[in-house]
Amino acid sequence: MIYLDHAAATPVNPKVLKAMEPYFSHDFFNPSAAYLPAKKVASDYEAAKATIAHAIGAKASDLIITAGATEANNLALTNMANVLYLETEHDSVRNVATRYGGEPIEVLKNGVIDLRDLKSKITDNIELVSVSLVNNELGTIQPLTEISELIREIKLDRLRRGIKQKLLLHSDASQALNLLDINVARLGVDLLTLNAAKIYGPKGVGALYVSHDVKLLPLTYGGGQEKGLRSGTENVPGVIGFAKAVELAKEHLNGNRKKYATWRKHLLSELQGYELVNKKHSLDNFIVLCYNGIDAERLVFLLEEKQIYVSTGAACAASKGQKSHVLSAIGLTDEQIAGSLRLTFGETNDENQIHEAAKIINAVVASEKERLKDV
Amino acid sequence: MSKVFVGMSGGVDSSVSAALLVEQGYDVTGVYMKNWSRDLPGMKCPWAEDLADAKRVAVKLGIPFEVWDFEDAYREKVVEYMLSEFKKGNTPNPDIICNQEIKFKLFYEKAMERGADFIATGHYARTGSLSQLGALQSVAVRALAPAARGDGSDNETVLCRALDENKDQTYFLYRISNEALAHTLFPIGGMLKPDVKKLAQKKGLHNAYKKESMGVCFVGEVGMKDFLKEYIDIQPGEIREIETEKNLGYHEGTIFYTIGQRHGLYISGNKGETNDGLPYYVVKKDLQNNIVYVSKNLNDSRIWTKKLQLKDVILRQDLPLDSIRLRHRAPLIPATFDGKTLHFETEIKRPASGQSAVFYSQKICLGGGIIAE
Repeated sequence: MIYLDHAAATPVNPKVLKAMEPYFSHDFFNPSAAYLPAKKVASDYEAAKATIAHAIGAKASDLIITAGATEANNLALTNMANVLYLETEHDSVRNVATRYGGEPIEVLKNGVIDLRDLKSKITDNIELVSVSLVNNELGTIQPLTEISELIREIKLDRLRRGIKQKLLLHSDASQALNLLDINVARLGVDLLTLNAAKIYGPKGVGALYVSHDVKLLPLTYGGGQEKGLRSGTENVPGVIGFAKAVELAKEHLNGNRKKYATWRKHLLSELQGYELVNKKHSLDNFIVLCYNGIDAERLVFLLEEKQIYVSTGAACAASKGQKSHVLSAIGLTDEQIAGSLRLTFGETNDENQIHEAAKIINAVVASEKERLKDV
Repeated sequence: MSKVFVGMSGGVDSSVSAALLVEQGYDVTGVYMKNWSRDLPGMKCPWAEDLADAKRVAVKLGIPFEVWDFEDAYREKVVEYMLSEFKKGNTPNPDIICNQEIKFKLFYEKAMERGADFIATGHYARTGSLSQLGALQSVAVRALAPAARGDGSDNETVLCRALDENKDQTYFLYRISNEALAHTLFPIGGMLKPDVKKLAQKKGLHNAYKKESMGVCFVGEVGMKDFLKEYIDIQPGEIREIETEKNLGYHEGTIFYTIGQRHGLYISGNKGETNDGLPYYVVKKDLQNNIVYVSKNLNDSRIWTKKLQLKDVILRQDLPLDSIRLRHRAPLIPATFDGKTLHFETEIKRPASGQSAVFYSQKICLGGGIIAE
């Protein structure tokens, strides 16, 4: 098997699994219980939260643990009046934002935010701007520092003019924690979404960093865990695993980046007959290719037979039957979208697999071209 | 090379049908008919998954694959019909109308426009020609090769039950046009279901183990009630005992009940009365006053009948009728038809109005009609 869809899911690292195991059985106690073994679990949980928080330059008390990134995005955006969101955001941002009357900010042809469009749309009633750190379909890295700089100026201007409306910056960093050094202060974000499942941690665990001066309303009411913002008995093994995954990601950050950059170069030179969609400003493990005149979904099925797993540019096309809003946003035609393939490397791969994959993808594309010739 | 457009649903039957056509040397194009895609509360419409399954099979077979969108027509012809029938207190069969109006009409017409010689589906049914009747009527019916089918003139082609009597789907096909039938291939009509499954496995078609979709294509059997609740304003009302007019309880909506039905009656025994534990049966629906009448008397004359009046009758061939079928997979029962009414030798349990009675002359499906009130 050659798995080239690490942006969709990552396997849980064995070390992560090992760290989680005791908390399913021996250390199963409810962290809220009064006796000592439970207190120990509570303190392990807090320590794990601190590990995750420190990795992004925050304190444990700034983190709200959620059941995944979608819930974190929902927590960040729900009840926000007037939201601006990048048009290429994941559905877990778009669908919440539009429910509350959000407006999209356009991207340039390279997938990067159009800062002029953002500027023109931040009117005095805008409460929150949401821009992901890394796009999930293209791997595009957004200039968060520039955006937060702009937002800071606007905030100052509002204060000068005596306008009380707050202005917050949210960023979904689900795809980024693996390969980018993230620091909330440097990025200048008020809210940041994290996801364990994309960094070799367990699925169903995420977190929302909430700057101490931001007041959110809970989506889940109950026993008041997570500062009352996310009630429910703590997912202790999940958070322990998340912390371990964060630790490992930090440790291998630079090595992985170099490795993926090399693989990307090799793969792009060995593959034939494609157009590269994400030429610049992209994470090194994201490759989005366009094969003109070819139906990429057919390639997915043909590659599946050779046990190579990739996704179409429209990652969710098969499950939702829609064309990718991300690829439309960067100006691809319907035909180009249909011909787009997304390959994302990760820890399950090695150099040999990259060469092997290039060979097989070339062969499969050639066979599709041959078939089309006969029609 | 004859050109065939095969309807592919993602299920094992249409997948094997497509595979057989490829094997037999046809120029095959797979088509997914997109008839319905709307999710209902608590029910995810599986259309996109089905489409992906169908496409995966097409890719595996190396054939072109297209999606034909019939959503508007389906809504207009099938769903609207179904809803209006339910509102009238009938129990319609949307699959029959879907075959008549969509699969063997719009799909057929579009395929012909695209230069098709045939369309094909994964139905368990067969076609044959009148001139071959002798062979057809013999006990051991063979799969009929399309080449052996008369001169292709529309009235030549007859619709015949599948080799697998247990799976036969002619009940759903009795209303399709002769013209479409004359240009239709049923590649698995001469096979037994277990053999179809085995062949799917042998050919490595991934969905060989996939659960079959049953009931109405887009909601499934369980979902019909929820579906109707979405589209029809349903009022709760009284359940009364027919003999006494006594109120026995309440129902969620008259349209959910069919005559003769015994399940789903929320009847509470009145205080002070001894419940003899005998079940109640629906015997009458008063739509105007929104009352469902029930009786403990299973012999109630409203449940049993020796004749059924039909409407919208279609007669495919003028051959002697020997038996009829009142439900998909129900046993064949002897009957006579006088042009309006079916007559039975012995009393039968009355089927719901809106369902179909389908006629047979031995293996040949002669048509049928819709059961009137």
